[in-house]
Amino acid sequence: MAAPTTDPATFRPAGTLDSANALAPYNGPWDRRRAAHLLRRAGFGGSPADVERVAALSPQAAVDGIVRFPDTSSLAGAPALETPPIPPRGLYRGFAEGMAADPEVADQRKAFQMQRNASRRRNLIAMQTWWLERMIATPAPLQEKMTLFWHGHFTSSPEKGTTAQELFAQNRLFRQYALGNIRELTLHVAQDPAMLRYLDNNVNVKAHPNENFARELMELFTLGIGNYTEQDIRESARAFTGWTFRHEDDGSGTFVDAGARHDDGTKTFLGRSGNFSGTDIIGIIFTQPAASRFFAAKLLAFFVYDDPEPQLVDQVAALLVKHNFELQPVMSVLLRSNVFFSERAYRALVKSPVEFVVGTHQLFGVPKVQLVELGTLRTMGQVLFYPPNVKGWDGGKAWINSQTVLTRENFANGVAQNPQMLQDAAWVARTLPTMDPKAIALALTQTLLQGDVSPAAMAQLVAYLGGAGQAEMGQLSGENIDERVRGAAYLTMAMPAYQLC
Amino acid sequence: MHGNNMKRSGFLLGAISGLSVVSSLDNVFAAAFAQAPLPGLPGASDRVLVVINFQGGNDGLNTVVPYGLPDYYRFRPSLGIPQGDVLRLDDTVGFNPVLAPFKKMYDAGNVAVVQGVGYPDPDHSHFRSTEIWQTAAPRTYETTGWLGRYLDDAGLPKDNLFNAVALSNVLPEALVAKSTDVPAVDALRGYGLRSDRNGSDREAFHEFARDTTVPFRSPYLDAVAEIEDHAQRGAEELPKLVAGYTPQATYPATPLGRSLALAAQIVGSKLGTRVLYVQHGSFDTHVTQKQTQDRLLADFANAISAFYTDLAAHGNDKRVMTMTFSEFGRRVAENASRGTDHGEAAPVFLIGGGVKGGIYGSHPDLTRLNMGNLAFGTDFRSVYATVIERWLGRPSLAIVGGSFPTLAAIA
Repeated sequence: MAAPTTDPATFRPAGTLDSANALAPYNGPWDRRRAAHLLRRAGFGGSPADVERVAALSPQAAVDGIVRFPDTSSLAGAPALETPPIPPRGLYRGFAEGMAADPEVADQRKAFQMQRNASRRRNLIAMQTWWLERMIATPAPLQEKMTLFWHGHFTSSPEKGTTAQELFAQNRLFRQYALGNIRELTLHVAQDPAMLRYLDNNVNVKAHPNENFARELMELFTLGIGNYTEQDIRESARAFTGWTFRHEDDGSGTFVDAGARHDDGTKTFLGRSGNFSGTDIIGIIFTQPAASRFFAAKLLAFFVYDDPEPQLVDQVAALLVKHNFELQPVMSVLLRSNVFFSERAYRALVKSPVEFVVGTHQLFGVPKVQLVELGTLRTMGQVLFYPPNVKGWDGGKAWINSQTVLTRENFANGVAQNPQMLQDAAWVARTLPTMDPKAIALALTQTLLQGDVSPAAMAQLVAYLGGAGQAEMGQLSGENIDERVRGAAYLTMAMPAYQLC
Repeated sequence: MHGNNMKRSGFLLGAISGLSVVSSLDNVFAAAFAQAPLPGLPGASDRVLVVINFQGGNDGLNTVVPYGLPDYYRFRPSLGIPQGDVLRLDDTVGFNPVLAPFKKMYDAGNVAVVQGVGYPDPDHSHFRSTEIWQTAAPRTYETTGWLGRYLDDAGLPKDNLFNAVALSNVLPEALVAKSTDVPAVDALRGYGLRSDRNGSDREAFHEFARDTTVPFRSPYLDAVAEIEDHAQRGAEELPKLVAGYTPQATYPATPLGRSLALAAQIVGSKLGTRVLYVQHGSFDTHVTQKQTQDRLLADFANAISAFYTDLAAHGNDKRVMTMTFSEFGRRVAENASRGTDHGEAAPVFLIGGGVKGGIYGSHPDLTRLNMGNLAFGTDFRSVYATVIERWLGRPSLAIVGGSFPTLAAIA
């Protein structure tokens, strides 16, 4: 039934994998370029000072400092969320029975819905702003990067009326299990109110099994298509019957295992039979070789490069099994590996909109996120707490089209033109007294691009700053330097390298 | 993508050796300026498809009203449109009275109404059902849209930045393609780069975007550089390219009116554009439906009527076909808030050039509902196949993901 498509373009890097040494610790040259690569992948890029600090360590010490999360207790622990309004008593009397409401009641319902929708919007804004600002400020960037990874993996959204409190609880779960045990996380997700609602398990009952969660659990969350049958879906859906949640007045949800609605008959799942519960099903899934390969491939595509070679996937899958699906030791190997620091992996991914925006904030020392940036992220194609579908964000080439690129460039322009820019970004301000186009161009391309710029573009940037060869532009002077430096910062961010992670 | 490498390095060399003025004209638009207004770009006289998305789920029952089916009035005690008000198409159905200008187009034989369009196991989520319509894939998650697959397949000129244009601020999934980059233009004002304070800035900018001679290799570098280049040139060129067009109709001063005016402008400027995508809504009428739906349908009728008047005045009406769709229809029984909830099947309109006017398919049976919803009679992929094969002249199998019969609604 899949719509046939043309051969998918492959974005696996050119060259050959050194399979024998791929996961061995990297011991090659260490510099700001490699430190910045680590910070982009294991976080959002960091500030210029972060890059200096990590470049001064050994690669091994740098990775140790990232996979053992530093203390984050100085960060705001939660967004301020409004309790969802509760409808006045009797407002929906007769609604479920389909009784017509008199016009006055209809008006009151409309007013209530507007109030509720406005409250939802404010909560969504509060959560998005809180999370983005946490990503910018955190001393433990990998914790937020993994939280984002899990958010795009175990997707849920407010689409079906899930409250902000429920979605935030899920976000906290992802952060708690950022580098935790994947099997345990999967079980918690299966009992998470936002997920129970998003994939309809709250209506999965013995009398009317609903297969939505069971299907996506295997197809998109753990095994991938081809590793189970339709019969396995039907049988496992029965095992999850009765898993639902109670809605609390404060907007949160509490997991409920409703025994009366649970089908406690015998199920046959992936070749085993028994009176399985949802917990048993997840346990069986994680004994499948396909599960470790599935997570290995997804982690490699997110942290190293697209379309990783099967040999590499198998090596990471073996690590996952060896560590009983504990992610911390696996990521510790992956992030310090030869393949991670190989030239093939370097700039081999496209920055997601969140990486692009958060990283730019970090580079320019801007801790606060403005409301308008949430709309900008939407136009760039990524709304936090609102993945496009249960598959999450496609990423890669899908991030880049004419519209998203224009939006990225206009965003970069806004950052460069921000009146506060020279106060926030001391590293830019420090270059001004030199009045030297070469020194300024070097600082911009080193800090924003780690020098990933062609000699020709570098010469062009120097010429732009110096006003050389362009009739309508004067020489660099005290009068034009502010404008010229902002323009040059923007031009540097418009280079393709800045779109790449 | 690799075919363009030569050309792009040509751009860069030209730029570095001080020939940037020449190189920036070295594209398909230079030819357009030189030869304007005729004969235009390759494909400038070819057929165009305009897709209008009725966002939010439009109530088909109060759009094409089954006034001849008594059950309609039983399900719609307060929302039912009285028989005497309906603009009759036949003995069973007629248009909502706010569609009067559209009824004139129907009477002239320029509107095909396809009844009861939907798909199996319908999803009631706006997000998911929209995605299903956009990707033509009810059971799988696809990374390209149906129109995107058409654009990749149609062999359109690679160097034309405007093979398709979405008149929206976010690119709709329907137009996501593997190898065709579609600009999304909400309005000419506000489209483009906000950095153009001086020409030198802009020149350096273009050169940087095409800079692929960098000291690293990335599988994405060529794709990113190419799209950056397209985005920048497109933003710069589009306003100039359409500047010579004078509309010959009065459009409603609404977002839809402005979008269709721009669509006519793009078609009339002979850019070789084959697909335009327009959004209209939101039709999500859970509460006091009549007010909202009447306003949106009246707007549609006025805007589409102005659009075809304008197109005809420029001789383009015969080569532009418009298709409407909504992610779902609405529940047959009205709810207690004088609104309707998410439903299933609904009519689709095919309008304009090449359409054989009339009604296709019978109205869904109001006595055999599917859990309170209309059962579909025509799979939406049949409508897509009809448009792809009979209007755009391409095989539809791979584009719509299967073999679906085409309708006689297009000659």
